[in-house]
Amino acid sequence: MKKNKLFKIIAPFAAVTMILAACGADKDSTGASTDDAGKITKIVAGTEATYAPFEYLDTKGNVVGLDAEILAAIGEEMGIETEIENTGWDAMMSQVTTGGIDMGAAAITITDERKETYDFTDPYYEASLLIVTKEDSKIEKLDELKDSKIAVQMNTTGHIAAQELQGKGSKNILAYENFSVALTEVLNGSAEAAIGDNAVILEYIKNNPDSGLKTIEDDSFEVDYFGFMVKKGNKELLDVLNEGLGKIKENGKLAEITGTEIE
Amino acid sequence: MDFFRWDIIWDYRELYLSGFLTTIILTLCGYIGGVIFGLLLGLGQVSNKKWIYWPAKIYIDVFRGTPMLVQLLLIHLAVIPTIFGESMSWWVSGIVGLILNSAAYNAEIFRAGIQSIDKGQMEAARSLGLTHSQAMRKVILPQAFRRMIPPLGNEFIALLKDSSLVTVIAGAEILYVSKVVAGTYQRFWEPYLFAAFLYLVLTYTATKIIAMVEKRVDINYNPRKKRGTHK
Repeated sequence: MKKNKLFKIIAPFAAVTMILAACGADKDSTGASTDDAGKITKIVAGTEATYAPFEYLDTKGNVVGLDAEILAAIGEEMGIETEIENTGWDAMMSQVTTGGIDMGAAAITITDERKETYDFTDPYYEASLLIVTKEDSKIEKLDELKDSKIAVQMNTTGHIAAQELQGKGSKNILAYENFSVALTEVLNGSAEAAIGDNAVILEYIKNNPDSGLKTIEDDSFEVDYFGFMVKKGNKELLDVLNEGLGKIKENGKLAEITGTEIE
Repeated sequence: MDFFRWDIIWDYRELYLSGFLTTIILTLCGYIGGVIFGLLLGLGQVSNKKWIYWPAKIYIDVFRGTPMLVQLLLIHLAVIPTIFGESMSWWVSGIVGLILNSAAYNAEIFRAGIQSIDKGQMEAARSLGLTHSQAMRKVILPQAFRRMIPPLGNEFIALLKDSSLVTVIAGAEILYVSKVVAGTYQRFWEPYLFAAFLYLVLTYTATKIIAMVEKRVDINYNPRKKRGTHK
């Protein structure tokens, strides 16, 4: 009798666990789907959708933006189904490694450090950093920010540039989860300036013409290239993406989407 | 390749140390402020005067009923910039957020503690000629305080862990440092495991201190007897 009671209590939990386990197993297998011949038929990309115009969520919660459009164009060109999920930045990084997703498409700058752990496609966008300050700020170039508070998005190239300027342990660097908070902090006066990618900043200023912010270009920033990121050694997927990227570069589709030429 | 690269933690030891201290300072300031403000709110909640009772009650319901993460973002990005024209450092917003949040929880602990003391105690104190507030201070609160120590200790530990939320407003505490390290190396085991370890060290120490205080205020405690010999 007692045993029976115990079973009744445990049974629902066991059932839930089994269902969850089944879902988990299903999730793992969504890595690049292939047909019988081993050709890739579906790619699932991860992103962090807080980075307009590259990726953001529309009113229905779908990931939209330049990265999504480029990926879709590549898929169309190569006859592959593509899907983009909002996983968040860190989760994207780790899931590319573990195989939960096939690739990262999130305005990812190609850096030597990242190349140690991941493989990158050819670049699809050329970006440079910009400094944003209030219109009445006296700042004119990067060097003048040496002792000022700088707002950045955590672990982006802007963050790295700020660290190079002020040192890794600097208390004057304020790193936020997303760039719009960093911009808000400039507006609110808790940071003198923000450093971030040009496209994002220009998009913000375009959308908020009365924000009272101005941008400063600085030659000491290096030019960055964005690429799609895959697991190290996943040559098959890398080849497919590069081929598709080459095609949309050639037929002008890429330039049409991003509004700029590359190479 | 070694599975665990502890050298990356060692490289960032200075940042981790300052993050560790930041967590302690945030928690202590938030807690002390939270206890003082919480006591006032708790007394407000046992008050018979409606104009004291209702504001306290509404405050507690609002702050216990909304996530601290939302409160922190609201305070830092909206409330403080609106009131002062500009936002102050995350220190200010972080500590204010922790105080306001923990005060709501502490208030409930104080209320429960006060109400757990038998009504006869107040009646007896009043009949001896003490005013209501004297009776509260000299008779009720000292007795209630002993019963409040375990839940107040819990609240301290909860606040210690919740201080990690200050990371969203760029508060450079333990989690923030770990996120920076994780992002730099794209390695997740080492920085987050080390963060968990640091929090564990802090909560374990706190547990020990709380247990000591609990023993000290025990009704059977006799300072003249050796440790462990009293019942």
